[in-house]
Amino acid sequence: MKQKSWHLNRRDTLKGMGACLALPFLESMSWAKGATKNGVLPKRMVVSYFSYGAYMPGGQNGIQSLTGPHDPWSWWPCRDEGPLTFNKSSAPFEPLKDYVSYLEGLDHKGGWGMGGHSSGDVFATGADMAGNEKKNNISIDQVAAAALGHRTRHASLVLGTEGGTGYYGRAKTLSHYGPGRPIPSLSNPQQIFDRLFRPYAGKNMDQIRSAMECRTSVLDIVRDQSKSLNKRLGREDQEKMAEYLETIRSVEKRIERNQEWTHKPLPKVDADGLKLTATYKDPEDYIRCMYDLLYLALQTDLTRYATLMLESEHSVAHAIGNFSNTLFGYKGNTHDISHKRPDKFSGMWDHWRAVQHAYFLQRLKDTPEGDGNMLDRTLVLWGSAHPHAAHATKNYPIHLAGGNHLGFKHGNLHKFTGKKKKPLANLFVSMLNSVDVETAKFADSTGEMTELIG
Amino acid sequence: MIFEYSLLNQQCRRFVGLVGMMVAPVVGSSFAAPIPKGLEGYKSHVAPFFKENCVRCHGPEKSKGKITVHSLDGDLSAGQELERWELIIDVLEHGEMPPEDEDQQPSEEERKAIIAWIEQGLRDYVTKASKVAKAPTVRRLTNFEYQNTMRDLFGFELNLIDDLPEDPIKPYHFNNTAAMMLIGTEQMDRYEQTARRMLMSAIVDPSKPEVHRVRKVWKTNTSVLEGLQPDEVSIRGNRKGAVADGIQIKKWPKTGEFRLRFKAAAILPDGYTQVPLQMGMGYDRSGNTAGQIEPVGMVALTNDVNNPKVFEMRGRIENYPTVPEHRYRRGGRIDGNLVIIPPHITVTPQNIFDDGMMQDNADPLSRPRAVVEWIEFEAPVVDVWPPEYHTQILFDSPLRQSDPKAYVREVLKRFMTRAFRRPVESEEVDRFAKIYDIVSAKLKLKTIEEAMRETLAIVLVSPDFMYHVASEGQKLRHYEIASKLSYFLWGSMPDEELFQLAQEKKLDDPTMIDRQVRRMLDDERSRDFVRNFTEQWLSIDKMKTIPINLDLFPRFLFTYPVGEKKGREIVNRPTIRDYMMKETSAFVAELIAKNESLFNIVDSDFAMLNQPLAYHYGVDGVEGLELRRVPVKPEHRLGGLLTHGSVLIGNGTGTAPHPIYRAVWLREAILGDKVKDPPADVPALSDSAGESAEKATRIKDLLRLHRQKESCADCHVRLDPWGIPFERYNAIGKFEAFAPPEGATIKPFNPKQHRDHKSYYDYVQRLKTVEVDAVAKVPHGPEVDGMRGLKKFLLKDRKKDVAKNVIRRLLSYSLGRELTYHDRYEVEALLEKTREKDYKMCDLIVLICQSNLFTRTQKP
Repeated sequence: MKQKSWHLNRRDTLKGMGACLALPFLESMSWAKGATKNGVLPKRMVVSYFSYGAYMPGGQNGIQSLTGPHDPWSWWPCRDEGPLTFNKSSAPFEPLKDYVSYLEGLDHKGGWGMGGHSSGDVFATGADMAGNEKKNNISIDQVAAAALGHRTRHASLVLGTEGGTGYYGRAKTLSHYGPGRPIPSLSNPQQIFDRLFRPYAGKNMDQIRSAMECRTSVLDIVRDQSKSLNKRLGREDQEKMAEYLETIRSVEKRIERNQEWTHKPLPKVDADGLKLTATYKDPEDYIRCMYDLLYLALQTDLTRYATLMLESEHSVAHAIGNFSNTLFGYKGNTHDISHKRPDKFSGMWDHWRAVQHAYFLQRLKDTPEGDGNMLDRTLVLWGSAHPHAAHATKNYPIHLAGGNHLGFKHGNLHKFTGKKKKPLANLFVSMLNSVDVETAKFADSTGEMTELIG
Repeated sequence: MIFEYSLLNQQCRRFVGLVGMMVAPVVGSSFAAPIPKGLEGYKSHVAPFFKENCVRCHGPEKSKGKITVHSLDGDLSAGQELERWELIIDVLEHGEMPPEDEDQQPSEEERKAIIAWIEQGLRDYVTKASKVAKAPTVRRLTNFEYQNTMRDLFGFELNLIDDLPEDPIKPYHFNNTAAMMLIGTEQMDRYEQTARRMLMSAIVDPSKPEVHRVRKVWKTNTSVLEGLQPDEVSIRGNRKGAVADGIQIKKWPKTGEFRLRFKAAAILPDGYTQVPLQMGMGYDRSGNTAGQIEPVGMVALTNDVNNPKVFEMRGRIENYPTVPEHRYRRGGRIDGNLVIIPPHITVTPQNIFDDGMMQDNADPLSRPRAVVEWIEFEAPVVDVWPPEYHTQILFDSPLRQSDPKAYVREVLKRFMTRAFRRPVESEEVDRFAKIYDIVSAKLKLKTIEEAMRETLAIVLVSPDFMYHVASEGQKLRHYEIASKLSYFLWGSMPDEELFQLAQEKKLDDPTMIDRQVRRMLDDERSRDFVRNFTEQWLSIDKMKTIPINLDLFPRFLFTYPVGEKKGREIVNRPTIRDYMMKETSAFVAELIAKNESLFNIVDSDFAMLNQPLAYHYGVDGVEGLELRRVPVKPEHRLGGLLTHGSVLIGNGTGTAPHPIYRAVWLREAILGDKVKDPPADVPALSDSAGESAEKATRIKDLLRLHRQKESCADCHVRLDPWGIPFERYNAIGKFEAFAPPEGATIKPFNPKQHRDHKSYYDYVQRLKTVEVDAVAKVPHGPEVDGMRGLKKFLLKDRKKDVAKNVIRRLLSYSLGRELTYHDRYEVEALLEKTREKDYKMCDLIVLICQSNLFTRTQKP
């Protein structure tokens, strides 16, 4: 592949940060350290998702066969439990060996009955939508955001390549405030950049503050108006309108929160090093830009909890579904690769994803922070809700990186198969606890994921 | 939704073992007399019928399709699980169950008696329940409705849809379904920003703005006689500095109307009578921007160079992509020189002539060209200042000076009445007048213009604007009918005439509804309805993202012939794919406009075509890009919706046809069945068609093999036969009676080897030696041969289902909700009335608007 203009190598990346961020970065720092009085460094968590599963020849339903050689293009880096060795597909993670773990045999029970693609909806929530719950439930990032999100300017950051919420069975976001309240993901790099780094769009603080006060008073009146409308409605419609009133309330709460933040300084980041006009027409530029924005948001401590939906389970109806045409010249929809599993394209596709994700992890790792680097204090979950071709709903491909200073131990392939089966939600519980969000139970969890902690 | 059709696995295999063991119990109830009503009949007849015919597969041991009947409550009046009862009627009526291959079948008499018993119970329940049951009807405007409402409320149009939270999409369903609309804080933000954006344009500042004008002239270069002249726009590029490079605008107002004027003529080689010239505006690919051009308008030039003419087009500057100043480092390197590109817009003429052979590297000189002498851009247009849309809100009145408070109230009242689509109470005006005071004070807004922008933005996020409301009382009933009509037929707010009739309380009179519906359907705005309705009903949107295999179909789309992007699609030019989308809604629009029978959707003696479509389908004698009604002959293999490119491509793989997708489409969109999602954990149809360009595969044979496995037969036996008759229409929707033999290798297009598209096409045709088998025995029906056989069968045996489906779709769209068993008898009544009107489309729409379901407000 042609070296794109902004595929910076590692050296360039280091150099680049100095150049593109108007902050004294290299030596000390995270913006966070400066902002945190007692010197406690932030603990962060990222969940990202790729759709349509990954290539897993040799074995069935996401469980590797223990006989025969390991396929160089399998998504799994190696066949046997224990220390990681890397095959072609997973090679991009080799330099990060001590920072990554592969977990085999994990899934959400809530997604079992949802079928095909739909289980992608509950990747970050574990909600039992086929059984007890009609609507999706709170996602792991929002549990953390609700508990500790007040510490940063943005409680969380919700990104996705396709943007919006999607709909049942075809979510375009990983994050949910709670039942029936999906959070639309942001997909436009320029908008994300502006929201993060230019929220006041050049206005002075007095203007901003009085605008916020003004908005609170105005919303009071809008609420009165809504209530008078509500009186004319039947009971069923009043329930539907409650959604609107609830929205007004949360807008008010957010204003209160933002008012506090107007008293704190914003990080200054300029966009020269970013390709903010990239769209999915240039897949590599676009995905990297999304990863870069996510990185910058974490680095400047604007948020500590984020989700990134790299592909949705419905990208077949989106130009993103044609990534593989652009990238590899595959003559068909990218989704077809996941069914037909042509050797060459399956491997290329997984490998490409791995290269992008490793790029992000590497950036975190290359950024010093306290006695280590950012990746030491950032847990990054990466996976899909299908194991392989058939879109079965069990045994997801799960990849966890970082958090080495949060108690996580990496460098191994773990198997949770057969009698050792555990819910994926156990990992969620451990992730939450390790970022100081005390959690006893999440979805169908049965305890902690002790295997990774040590 | 993607149907990954494949095979049922273990579940079914387990079942196979059971079949042989079951011995049907013998029951002796008689079906000669009607079954007694209610629970009594259930016990004496219905339960034994189930036990005998159904429970084996749909009972405690096995619940195929997740349906069981043994647990049903036999007392329908309790209102339990009526959806399941309705489903049972449907499968019994179509003879779908018990499956054909079951040895034991109930008699026709039994079947009918059971259906009648369920119908009776259901009808009794619905009659009783409709007096109490209410479905929620409050829903927010869909993006489509929001866009149109803002246009009609303000009197000019901005493209707002891209800024709004997305509507939920569900294939074969309408996105106006109340239950699916969610709103949260982020969505609220978007609405507020969008409202502000609209108001920035709608209310102008008092001082007359500076007018920006740019004009550029191109001349024939007399020293160069060969090739294209700089002032010519050909089907392909021209040298640098030629007119196709367009004019660059460096300064323009942020908001307002612009005017493009240009003087142009046509150069028409023999046999051509016109050249379509499109003006586009946007920005070029430069620096790190991708480049984006949006069309402003199109003229079909027929005047020759001795008669150049001046043309004018107008638009809103806000709707065109512009780049703000942007910077990048040269070479993409951090230490590269900083390059600063100033903000600009480019206006560029484009020759969008298309005869279907544009990819054949035709000599540009042999095709129609346009000559453009000059282009002039002017913005804003200030014929009247302030513009009318401004004075419609901030009207002239002595009050403005004498009693500003009263003036503000009057402005608000007028605006709110239209925005809320009903008269407003004085306390409502009070509230917004208070908002006006708050924003003026707190935001220190000095002018009425600034403060009114802020205040009206809040009007536009209040639920009275954003939501469709059906109130409990009778007071607003006529206004609500006015809105129902306008949102159904225009996707927008009522106009003056409807408001007037609402005020006079004349809108529940069937004669008046008849007159209004016909008036509204004659109005241009009804095109939006037809397009929106058709695209969702037929779920054809997906055809736009199917990746067409350009190796096999190198003629289909416009691609870059050379350079880095070689082979990738040229995006800023309309292609046959766009025309195919238009073809489908133009077809439905024609049926409504001419009040023709709805059965035309299955087969018709005409098609709606333009030149590229006609070339594609093999119809002669159509020139130009306008779609028009063209009579079709049998050899064209057209007629109805089933052969539309939009349908065939959308339900294919881009390389090969896909009978399963097409079968699902036919059952959902035309027959109105609900086809279940494929089960989870299905093994892949690894050898399905379309895997590679090189391998010719005949999916029908593959499917036959699969069906022979018992584990798969279950699902596919009811699906595949509906798709097989489509097999002679290829992946790009062309009729092809022959296919390459099994295992033949088709080489992709290669200019070195095949020279040009024509000879490649000939090469592919030579490989096609085997007649495509499109014969299938439809479930519970005869054997049909190909599309003709299928259409004939549908029009003979499934007429009622086709008609009922069209009625249900229109009704569901008009009500903004899914239909349930509650609506079953209203639909049947409509079916009967439609039959009396010979199933004519326009009459049907009138009948829907006159129906009880449509006109009644919450309280009947």
